[in-house]
Amino acid sequence: MNLIIKPAETFRGDYTYTNSDEAILRFPFPFPEDIYMYAVNVEPHVRGGPTSAYDAVFDIDEHYVGDMEDRAITLAEDPLRCQVLPHMNEAEWDTLELLMESLSYDYPEHFTLTKNGDEWHWVNRPLNIDQHFTFGRRETLPYGPFEYITRQVQGDFSVQDQRDGTLYMDGGMVTSQADWSLNFDVGMTFHEWHGPVPLAHEAGVFDRALQYLLRLQHGKPVRRLNWTITANPRLDTSPENYPIWGPEKAEINPANVAHRMCLRVEVQTLTRLPRSNAILFGIRGYLIRLQELARVKKWAIRMHRVIRDLHPQIAEYKGMPRYRQFIIDYLASYDDGSHLNSGTAPEQDAL
Amino acid sequence: MGNKSRPIYAPFKLDVTGRAHLIVTNLAEPPLELAEGFDDITVWTVKTIGRGIPAPAAPGLRPFRAVAELLPQLAVRLAQATVGLRLYAIGSEAFIWDAFNVAITAGLDKAEIFVHHAGPLVRRVYCTHCRTMIEDVAADITPCPACGAHLFVRDHFSRRLAAFMGVIVDAEVPGEVPAAEALTS
Repeated sequence: MNLIIKPAETFRGDYTYTNSDEAILRFPFPFPEDIYMYAVNVEPHVRGGPTSAYDAVFDIDEHYVGDMEDRAITLAEDPLRCQVLPHMNEAEWDTLELLMESLSYDYPEHFTLTKNGDEWHWVNRPLNIDQHFTFGRRETLPYGPFEYITRQVQGDFSVQDQRDGTLYMDGGMVTSQADWSLNFDVGMTFHEWHGPVPLAHEAGVFDRALQYLLRLQHGKPVRRLNWTITANPRLDTSPENYPIWGPEKAEINPANVAHRMCLRVEVQTLTRLPRSNAILFGIRGYLIRLQELARVKKWAIRMHRVIRDLHPQIAEYKGMPRYRQFIIDYLASYDDGSHLNSGTAPEQDAL
Repeated sequence: MGNKSRPIYAPFKLDVTGRAHLIVTNLAEPPLELAEGFDDITVWTVKTIGRGIPAPAAPGLRPFRAVAELLPQLAVRLAQATVGLRLYAIGSEAFIWDAFNVAITAGLDKAEIFVHHAGPLVRRVYCTHCRTMIEDVAADITPCPACGAHLFVRDHFSRRLAAFMGVIVDAEVPGEVPAAEALTS
């Protein structure tokens, strides 16, 4: 993979974040059909998919350095965004091993892992990190192993312990979440932390998803997509800081909606960890401004139809009522009524 | 709306497999008739008969002056517990899950603890922004006494914190606070 990482962009304040043409074309667009409803929609997480965002097990993209700087800012303000309960030590090391092996395999020009027994050497060139440490010995790293490695991988993560026939969210690194709080949810069962999601409980979605996940096998990770709409390319859309970023939502108007409003997609991956039998849940977020997305003809048309016909309760849960009509009006000009193929691929090679 | 983080409480009854039964409540009286045929039942309540004076104790009954006095003593009592003790916590959700967490820390198994929601419909609310705990909230919107945010009380409950999640209601347009409604569950 030929990955060129940009100098750090900002995800707050002046919001310098933009997507290159290549980044737009590889965006993991989430809508295979013209209408959206909750579904379990889980598929095997194998390399390869509708765009190159699916080519690596843990995708690194051009925004990597700025993304990691923004995480460090958030953690400096609020260290409780990363918490792991004490009984999850083994899962922490499982996570570190999985992420280091994946990154060094998929991006050898940027990351190198060398093992000599338990003496490991990790090199992260984009972040200028060169670390010797002893696997299994926490005191040889500057942070706990889970925090150490998730400070270097894009996307939020949580670790689920499996016991009593359910999953417990017993740890996480959560700095770019869509309105949920790790400090509130840590220790909860699968059904508890999904408590506030509308409609899906009644549809049995979570019961089926849990049964599926309890049987998740080592070496056979799975993925699903989730999405929301965000005002400005902000990573820290946490409930903790909602008083700080909430006013930005009220600033959206028909004149700035195309530039400021972003579609936020999460490629969620679920991986069984080998020693701990825990599950690592990766929530890899991607942001694209509507005016960037609209450069792909199929996506602009489909997005218009999905938002226009969205179930009101889902629109409410995703925080959309204030500007939903602005989005619809902006995208309507792209919708020529044409029939679209199923699937999410952009169906064009250049912009 | 089926909210799955809200616990569902079974009707109160003593566990026939227990050899000793400790009932703790944040109310002045436990709202129940104790079943006959059980030996070794102790009831802890919160009841005063004057400023700083607890109601008199009696065999099998021990009133405390406040929850803050009861819970640390519960930790001491449970640390001395022998196999066969059953703990029953009755009262507000904040109290019963605090008691539950004390018991787990003391080494009881989940199967030895029974929680039962009773009393006024009030909630402990966690301010997501400044992390202050607000006790005895009876409406779905409440001001945070520490940071001043007007919080909407989500129907989302953490057993670890024994609290409901409170999130600012007027972040997008400060001052746009809807009228609060009394909690109905």
